[in-house]
Amino acid sequence: MLQPLSENLKQYFPAGTAAELRAQLNRSRGVTLVSGNLVGNARSEVSGVSARVWQRGVCGFSSEAELSEDAARRVLVAASENAAFMDRRAPRGLSPLPAAPRGTKHFDREISDPTQKQYVDFLRPLDEYITSHCKGLQSRTLVARADSMEKQLLTADALSGSSIIERSYIYVMMSAETASGAPVELFLPIGGLGTFDKNFTDPSLLYEKIDGLYTKLMQKREGIYPDAGVQTVILGGELGGMVAHEAVGHTVEADLVLGGSVAGPCFGKQVASEKVSMVDFASEAFGKPTPLPVYLDDEGIEATDAVLIDRGILVGYMNNRESAAHFGQKPCGNARAYSFSDEPLIRMRNTAILPGTDKLEDMIAATEHGYYLIDTNNGQADTTGEFMFGVCMGYEIVNGKLGRALLDTTISGVAFEMLKTVDMVSDEVSWSSAGVCGKKQPMPVGLGGPAIRCKVTMGGR
Amino acid sequence: MKETKDTARRVLAALREAGADEASCSVTETETREFNVDGGKGSLFRGLFDTPLRMTVFKDRRRGTVGLNKTDDESIRQAVEDCMAAAAAAEPDEAWGLAETGDERTFLEGAPEPELDRFFDRTSELMDDIKARYPKILVEQMITEHKSYRQTYVNTSGAEYTTVGGEYGVSVMFSGHDGDKSSSFNSAGAVFASLDKKLIDLGSIDADLAATEKQIDTLPMEGKFVGTVVLTPGCLGECMDSLLGSFTGDSAILDGSSIWKDKLGEKVADERITVRFDPFDERIVCGERFTGEGYLSEPCDVIKDGVLERFMLSRFVSKKTGFDRLPNGGSAMVIPAGDKTLDELIAGVERGILVGRFSGGAPSNAGDFSGVAKNSFLIENGKISSALSETMISGNLAELLRSLVGFSKETVADGASVLPWGVFTGVTISGK
Repeated sequence: MLQPLSENLKQYFPAGTAAELRAQLNRSRGVTLVSGNLVGNARSEVSGVSARVWQRGVCGFSSEAELSEDAARRVLVAASENAAFMDRRAPRGLSPLPAAPRGTKHFDREISDPTQKQYVDFLRPLDEYITSHCKGLQSRTLVARADSMEKQLLTADALSGSSIIERSYIYVMMSAETASGAPVELFLPIGGLGTFDKNFTDPSLLYEKIDGLYTKLMQKREGIYPDAGVQTVILGGELGGMVAHEAVGHTVEADLVLGGSVAGPCFGKQVASEKVSMVDFASEAFGKPTPLPVYLDDEGIEATDAVLIDRGILVGYMNNRESAAHFGQKPCGNARAYSFSDEPLIRMRNTAILPGTDKLEDMIAATEHGYYLIDTNNGQADTTGEFMFGVCMGYEIVNGKLGRALLDTTISGVAFEMLKTVDMVSDEVSWSSAGVCGKKQPMPVGLGGPAIRCKVTMGGR
Repeated sequence: MKETKDTARRVLAALREAGADEASCSVTETETREFNVDGGKGSLFRGLFDTPLRMTVFKDRRRGTVGLNKTDDESIRQAVEDCMAAAAAAEPDEAWGLAETGDERTFLEGAPEPELDRFFDRTSELMDDIKARYPKILVEQMITEHKSYRQTYVNTSGAEYTTVGGEYGVSVMFSGHDGDKSSSFNSAGAVFASLDKKLIDLGSIDADLAATEKQIDTLPMEGKFVGTVVLTPGCLGECMDSLLGSFTGDSAILDGSSIWKDKLGEKVADERITVRFDPFDERIVCGERFTGEGYLSEPCDVIKDGVLERFMLSRFVSKKTGFDRLPNGGSAMVIPAGDKTLDELIAGVERGILVGRFSGGAPSNAGDFSGVAKNSFLIENGKISSALSETMISGNLAELLRSLVGFSKETVADGASVLPWGVFTGVTISGK
C-alpha cells in the first residue's frame, strides 16, 4: 500500500488558494492467448507524486516519478511556479473557489496481487474448453487483465484521504466464417470490481458463459443485414448504458458544456421522453455498490450522485469545483485523474439511465417490426449529441417475436432527439465496466441501462 | 544520457545474473512542458518528469515483460524478480527472441531543449489567429507541449541504442457556433521541431478550422445512393490504419482471419496506390530509429503499385508463420501524391461527399465498415455544396482500394505522416 502523505507537507501549500498533492500507484497485469499462443505476458507498476495549484482561475501542475517527501515538496514548489507563470501570461482573475468541506476520509484497503502464473494457469483450461467444445471456429482469443488505482490525497482546502479501485476481467473473443467465407466475430467481457483471484476462482464456472457466446456466434454466422434507415429498436442494457455514457454523458460534462456542447442551451429543457431519467452514480446504485465505486475525487470532494436528467428534463451537469462555481451547481466528486502525472478532469463515474416498469418480453411482444440490439463493440458521440454505435449482436423482431440474428451493423442518431422517442423502458439495469473512457486521459468507468424502445437510424449494408 | 545508459546496462546485467538467456531493457528520461486552453481560455501549465523503464526476458524460450517508472536498486531488483517469474509462468515457444545482432548507436533528433517563452507566444498567437480568422470557432480544448527525452535501449545481442531528442506538439479540438446552432466538433494537430512557423500553418489546422466554420448550418442527406467519397488526408490515414491492421497485422495473420492471408505478392489495390512506412522521410519529425525488438528501423512499402509487398508483423509472428517481419514499428505512413489537384478531382465527382472525419468502429474482419460521415460536405456536379448532418457511409475497405479515382497532388505533412486527399467510388451513402 502507498504510505499516507505527511500532514507536514501542508506547509508548502501556497496560502489562501486551492491546491492538491497526490501520490498514486497504478498497477496492471495482462496475459493474452491468441489461438493458443501466449502472445502477451506483462506486468507494470507506475507511481509518483503530483501537485496542482489553482491561482485566480489558472492552474500549475507538476509531477515526478518518485514517492518521497522531497519529491512532494519539489512538485508543490514547481506547481506554484507554473501557476504563477500562467497567472502572469494568461490571467483570468477569478475569485477564490467556494469553500468545500474539510477533514480526512480514508477509503483504501489492502488488496491481493496474484502472480503472473495465476493468470496463465486460469486461461489455459478455458482455452482447452473452447478448443474441445466450440467446433468450427476460425480463431479464439483469451485475455486476462487486471488493473488497480491507489491514491493518497492531501488538499489545502478540501478533504484529504485515500482511495483504491481495482478491477479484473477475462475477455473471450471468437470468430467463425459465414457460408460465403466472410469472417464474423463476437466477444464477451467477464468480471468487474475486485482482484483476479477474488473474481475468478474456478475456470469451469465460466463454461456456461462461453457456451452462450458460442451459440450466439453460430446464430450470427447465419445472420442477415438489417434494413437501413429509421427503425424501431429495443436497445438492450449494454446499449442503453452506451447511450447514457457516450451520447448524453459527455455532452453534460461541464468542461464540454463550456466548450460549446449541445447541453448548454438545453439546460432546464425537455431533452427526453418523461420515461427517461439519468444519474451519474458515485458509490452505490439501487441499493448495491456501483460497478466502480468512487468515494472521494482528486480535488478532495466526497463523491455523491449527480442527477443529470429527471423525467426528461436536463437538470444537472457533472462538475469540478471551478465549473460548479461557474454554473452555481454542487460539485459531486467528478474530478478524476488517471495516473500520478495526470491532472484531475471532469469524468463520469457510473452513469446510467434509470429503470422503468416494462418487462423486456412485453417490449418485444409489443413490437410488430423492429430489432432487438444486444451487444456493442464501440461507440462514439459528438458534442452535438450525434452518436454512432457499432452493434455486433442483435435479432430482428417480426410480429412480436425474435427472429434471425443480425450481422454487424451500426446505429446512429442525435441523443436529445432519439431520447424523445423512448416509449418503453424495462425494469432491469445491466451494468458494464470493462472498458476505459478516453478524454485526454483514459479512465475506468461504469455504464448502465435498462432496455429502451426507441427509434434510431440503422446502417444496414 | 549517461544515466539512462548506466541504468539500462545495470538492468541487463541483473537479468543475466538472474538466469536470462536473452533480455532487453529500455530506459527513458522524459521532461514534458504542456500548456492547456479550455473553453477558449488559458487554463493550465504542466511540468512532468518521468523515467519509464521496460524489461523483457527470455528463459528457455519463455517470455516475460515488466514495466515500471523507477530506477533505484530495490525497484529494479523487484522488477527483475517479477520479470523472471512472469517468464517462468509462460509456456515455451521457439518463435520468441530478439534481433540477432546489434551494435552501439547514438541518435540526436528534433529540438531537445524547449524555448519556453517563445513557445508560449506561439500558443497565444494560435488562439489570436483563430479568433481573427474564424470568429465563429470555439476552441473546446487546445494542448501544446514540448517533450524532451533521453532513451537507451540495450539487449543481449549487443545492441546499445541511445536517442536524445525533443519535439513540440499541438492538438486542437474545436467546433463552430452561431447562436444556439453548432457544428460537430473537429480536431487537428501536428508535431514539429522548430518554432519558426505559426502553429495555424502546420499540418491541416487552418484548413480544418475553415471547413468547420462552414459546418454550422447543415442539411441532412436525403435517401441512399452509391457514390464517390473524397477523404481528407486525416480520414484517409485512419482508414488505411484500420485496413492494414485488419488485413496485415499480427493477430489477423496469426489466427488466419485476414482476408489477405493468401494475397502476398498479389495485386490487392489500384496500381496507383503505394503505402509506405518511412520514419526517415524528411517531413517526419523525430521518426523511430530502432524497434522494440532491437532492430534498426528501415523504410518499407507494405503496398507498392497496388501489390501487397509484406504483412505488418512482429518478429514473433514472423517466426511463427514464416513471413517477413516489418522492418520498422509501423509509424510514419507516407502515401505518394497523385497527378491531379484536389479541385480537379472534385470537379470530376458527379455526386458524392467530402468526408472530414469518420465516426465508426473498427471494420469487421471482412473489411466491412459503416459509420457516420462527420464534418462532411455534399458534392454535386463537381462542386462542393452544403454541409451535411446525419449521413452514414458504408462499404468494404478491400473493395475501396480497388476503386480509387485518384490521389491529390497536394499532401498534408503533420510531422507524423504525409498523406494526400483520396477519392474513391462505390461507397454507399445514406441519410434519414
